[in-house]
Amino acid sequence: MADPLPFDGLKVIDISWVLVGPTTVKYLADHGATVVRVEAATPLDILRTAGPFKDGIPGPDRTQFFAEFNASKLGLCLDLKNPAGLDIAKRLISWADVYIESFRPGIVDSLGIGYETAKRLNPSIVMASTCLMGQTGPAAAFSGYGFHAASIAGFYETTGWPDLAPDGPWVAYTDGVSPRILAATIMAALDHRRRTGQGQHIDASQLEMSLHFLSPQIMDYSTTGRGVTRNGNRSQYFAPQGAYPCAGDDQWCAIAVETPEHWQALILAMGSPAWAQDTKFDSMEGRLENHDAIDQQISEWTKNQDPKALMQSLLSHGVPAGVVQRSSDLESDPQLAHRNYFRHLEHQEMGTVPYAGHQFRIRGYDNGPRFPAPVLGQHNEQVLREVLGMTDDEVTEAVIAEAII
Amino acid sequence: MLSPYTVLDLTGGHGDLASMLLGDMGAKVIKVEPPAGSAGRGEPPFIEGGPELERSLPFFAFNRNKMGIILDLEAEAGRNALRGLVETADFIFESGQPATLDSLGLGFDVLKEINPKIIHVAISAYGCDGPYADYAASDLTIAAMGGPMSLQGVPDRAPVRISVPQVWLHAGSEAATAALTAHALMLRTGEAQFVDVSAQTAMIATMLQGISAHAIQGQDYQRAGSLLQLGQANLPVVFECADGYIVLIPSGPTLAVIVPWFVEDGVVPESWIEGEIWPTYHVRLLQGQPVSYSAEEVLAAITKYVANYTKNHLLERGLREGVALAPVNDIGDLTGFQQLEERGYWMTAPLPNGLEARAPGLVVRLSETPMSVKSWAPALGEHNGQVLNSMLGLDDTEINLATGGKAG
Repeated sequence: MADPLPFDGLKVIDISWVLVGPTTVKYLADHGATVVRVEAATPLDILRTAGPFKDGIPGPDRTQFFAEFNASKLGLCLDLKNPAGLDIAKRLISWADVYIESFRPGIVDSLGIGYETAKRLNPSIVMASTCLMGQTGPAAAFSGYGFHAASIAGFYETTGWPDLAPDGPWVAYTDGVSPRILAATIMAALDHRRRTGQGQHIDASQLEMSLHFLSPQIMDYSTTGRGVTRNGNRSQYFAPQGAYPCAGDDQWCAIAVETPEHWQALILAMGSPAWAQDTKFDSMEGRLENHDAIDQQISEWTKNQDPKALMQSLLSHGVPAGVVQRSSDLESDPQLAHRNYFRHLEHQEMGTVPYAGHQFRIRGYDNGPRFPAPVLGQHNEQVLREVLGMTDDEVTEAVIAEAII
Repeated sequence: MLSPYTVLDLTGGHGDLASMLLGDMGAKVIKVEPPAGSAGRGEPPFIEGGPELERSLPFFAFNRNKMGIILDLEAEAGRNALRGLVETADFIFESGQPATLDSLGLGFDVLKEINPKIIHVAISAYGCDGPYADYAASDLTIAAMGGPMSLQGVPDRAPVRISVPQVWLHAGSEAATAALTAHALMLRTGEAQFVDVSAQTAMIATMLQGISAHAIQGQDYQRAGSLLQLGQANLPVVFECADGYIVLIPSGPTLAVIVPWFVEDGVVPESWIEGEIWPTYHVRLLQGQPVSYSAEEVLAAITKYVANYTKNHLLERGLREGVALAPVNDIGDLTGFQQLEERGYWMTAPLPNGLEARAPGLVVRLSETPMSVKSWAPALGEHNGQVLNSMLGLDDTEINLATGGKAG
């Protein structure tokens, strides 16, 4: 018999798109919930229009960007602006325990499926609305991506080099922060509902969730006026820290000295070179002041070494070190293999491709994505007939009305 | 929402956010520290003029809504007290080196005997077991091993992390989700659960479309500054304005609004307005189809236009006309952002040095069971008596033994 899953039997209607909503819901989907992911054919979810595309050939059903975050879900292609489509959405809201959307504030109300309607259809529903700025306030309508929220929060100011324009974190950074917090909130709301029967509406601002990741710096600024800006890989407090060049094409090893013990261990790992004996490097303050000189020496030492061998040698001396890994490195990372991290699932269009696994493992059952993401409209029939129990006539009517795409 | 539950937080600066989130959601959280204090109390930046062990801003920031006690787990009395607390707790979080609790006789196998429904969440750099389990790690090295660094920075320099430590916050928020997932499983099976959270994999998740890039398209993405890599066209998203920088994604819907602004200022001729079907401009660009104005011309016009305006002017005009123009804020700029003010987001936190700090507020808004912040980070051992006496019935002598003589 299959392992019981944490969210077996939980029912979710997901009309969110892009990253935060779908990624949040994936926590429920992978762990057992029945999720109906409602999509439009126009406009397509932006993730279906961006790569990486299988073998570099574009197509809405060929991108792992979409597939990665929509595994373990049933796909329904529905026109919410069509009355018959809206009716199906309402049936799904009545069926569901959780309803999530990520449109600009006010859109679901204008479509006729806002919280008040949802609550009338299904009094104990847990509904989550997530957008960049939250449902209220003068900038509620600010309709952008995680790039913009990251920039407003301060993550652009604090990523890159002090003498260059801000680079920003990789793509839509707040989309990497928000789902973990929102997923926990939905799970807590479900637990509350289990005990009390009470549902609720969650207003999750991606900016507000993400600002907790800058909380100490905000508090510091407000009381001392001390700001924080981009500083390469350096720390204001510890030295040396950096990504150092290694042998090979664009290979780097990160090294972080945070304690006097780390510094002594690094000196030993380097073979106790004469330059490192200079007393001006003895204190953290001295090392922070002379960081350029230290980096130059360390880089000389690292630049012809194999990055992984260098990392192993540093770790064996007790120095925190890590190779800068790319996606190709992750494929063969032995720790990830040990955790059975990548799951190979057979996607209808892309064939067998790796899906990222979980950031946590619950001991005792095999947790990971359960089945591949849907191609557009893959589960239209299944959702209408099996999930909603619609009759042949009802399905035919919906098709004729062009509610189903 | 979580008011029936009790959480024990043994994490030492590497998981404070996990139980903070559950505390914000209503759980009763007890921070359990060794007699010398949590390692998190040594994390900079520091509160100036605060008492020695109350100086860490990260500790202060991520331990709100928690009571604080000391337990000396090296002593039998301390271990006994922990066992006593585990009997009535629902969750226990820890972030020691893998197997630390095992070696103290307080591993999962023991804890589940004491409480057959306990959810035990272990947070570590790479996971509880496996070839990297004992690797020395830091924010920087995990950002490297987890992958996002490979995508950040400019090509002719080293890859970069975000300059503010992020890794343990990703792992901590992941641990909150993990704990509630495991709790849902416990409700189903009736059995205690052990959860192993890896910070490395929490960082991998932040690579988004980069996670499996090589396996899918045959090549990795490469770091390219702020360039948005879209295959046929790579577009910069950071532009220099009069007083700093803004983030602007040169997509069709945005251009449709701002090309007329360029015309107003004489940056481009009026013929541009009718000369292109702007709302779908990026679609043709991405598909390699003909466009009336090249990406270079469009980018040059954006650059020229925004150079004359301040971040705030551009933000405000964008808000009025419905396009996303985001200032590259520093923290000072952020705190002036009206949206947060009008949403009542900010809170005032009384720091141990007597000053009041601006603090991030409620994580999310709930219609029926609003979150709240009832207390800020506890002083070391602040609630020893309250917890150990009222919950466990220990007397002063017993408390003294359990806390290593730091009854508080």
